[in-house]
Amino acid sequence: MAKILIIDDDETIHLICRAYLTKAGHTIEEAYDGPDGLLKAEAFQPDLLLLDINMPRMSGFDVAKKLKENPATKGIPIFMMTSLKQESNIQRGYGLGIEEYITKPANVEHLKLRIEKFLQSRK
Amino acid sequence: MLDIFTQSPHFYDYVTAAVLLLGVFNVAEVLFLLWNKARVESSELKRQGLKRLASTALITATDPAALLPRPAKEEEFAAYSEAIASVLDSFEGEIAVKAAQLISDLGIDDHYRRLARHRVWYKRGNAIDILSSFKLKSNREFFLAVFRSETSLDVRYRIIYGLSRLAREHADIRALARMLSGLPYLTAKYTEDIFYNIITALKATGSEAEFGIFMREIMNDKTVLNLVKRDCITACYAAACEKGRGLLKEYYAAFPDEPEILIAAVKALARMGDFSVTPAAIRHPDWRVRLAALKYAHLCCMDMLPEIRALLRDPSYHVRLNAALALAKGGEKGLAALRQEAAGPDAFAASTAAYALSQEAA
Repeated sequence: MAKILIIDDDETIHLICRAYLTKAGHTIEEAYDGPDGLLKAEAFQPDLLLLDINMPRMSGFDVAKKLKENPATKGIPIFMMTSLKQESNIQRGYGLGIEEYITKPANVEHLKLRIEKFLQSRK
Repeated sequence: MLDIFTQSPHFYDYVTAAVLLLGVFNVAEVLFLLWNKARVESSELKRQGLKRLASTALITATDPAALLPRPAKEEEFAAYSEAIASVLDSFEGEIAVKAAQLISDLGIDDHYRRLARHRVWYKRGNAIDILSSFKLKSNREFFLAVFRSETSLDVRYRIIYGLSRLAREHADIRALARMLSGLPYLTAKYTEDIFYNIITALKATGSEAEFGIFMREIMNDKTVLNLVKRDCITACYAAACEKGRGLLKEYYAAFPDEPEILIAAVKALARMGDFSVTPAAIRHPDWRVRLAALKYAHLCCMDMLPEIRALLRDPSYHVRLNAALALAKGGEKGLAALRQEAAGPDAFAASTAAYALSQEAA
């Protein structure tokens, strides 16, 4: 199964996503802010990254930009999961090269299915 | 006075006592700080632990309330509330239903409803904020009742915010608008957030059109501040209210002398990819409207190149600068015009054009 890195400052999100995704057989790595996420993305080389936008120290947009600039991490698919619904934010996310922009509240079962479908399509 | 001390046979005893007292005070202060640090850290750890426990119970148990210790202290209520609000904000489906059920099962809503009647205003405000974060429809009547008896303006604003997250139908929007107009205008951000919440809540129930009806109603209502109408337009953009596009054009046409509304309409429409009012806004007599429109001129209006070029001589510095930047972003024709202006006799236009060219090169 896949390796997934979750970057979010909210522990509740980590707990819930980890529980559902681990149950589906995925290996989860976690980071609670952008700089830590960047280090873990390079070291862990996940098959997919779940990324929040509003985080302390570095926003999700900056994290995505840095990931896409780094040759070691630019191939990692990014799913942004955020409560920011404005069109400009969605466009900005896709402009940075992310794969999916998921707005909260999200159905965690559907999220799991979307992730699995995406990972299957890349095989 | 000092002599009495210095010449006293007990002078050194006084000094020693003072130094000892200072020492004792310092040691006590350090001990207090260490104790307080340990207390805060322990309380934070406990809060994190309870949050984790609540989230885990929501994931694993069919009846999470049976697994969780019933909250008794304020920090326990706060920890559960944070975990539940976070789940409700981020997730929908079964887990959100369980989280909402947990609020009443653990008596959290009752606790904060009691606090919302507390004699200290900030405790009431905090309780209202927490109840708002749950977005429970059952709180609607409670919020309305509290609003009627509440004396603190600060808490009343918070109640309106809470109610805005529960809007379901046209009557709710009208009621909120009435409540808002009964209070002093707070800030643009606050009013925009209220309308943003309303649109989001209506969208969730498929009743987005209700907001359009409301905006049409208030368009010519003199009792509604134009600032509030402007904030409605801004919220319409922020909440991606695409269906309101036609209405925004009507607002632009209906308020030719209200720059605040015109600017909001130009920006909202442009961000939806609709530039139909931008050319008219570029020609508007108010410099603030021209300025707002020029930000998007390179995306829609390069056929107006002579007019944009003429704005390099506009009385407003901001308009001159943004006209130059629009030309710089507007392709080869725009750049050629800027190069001519940079070498021209008009010192104002030449310096602005040179600046825009340097920015484009950078």
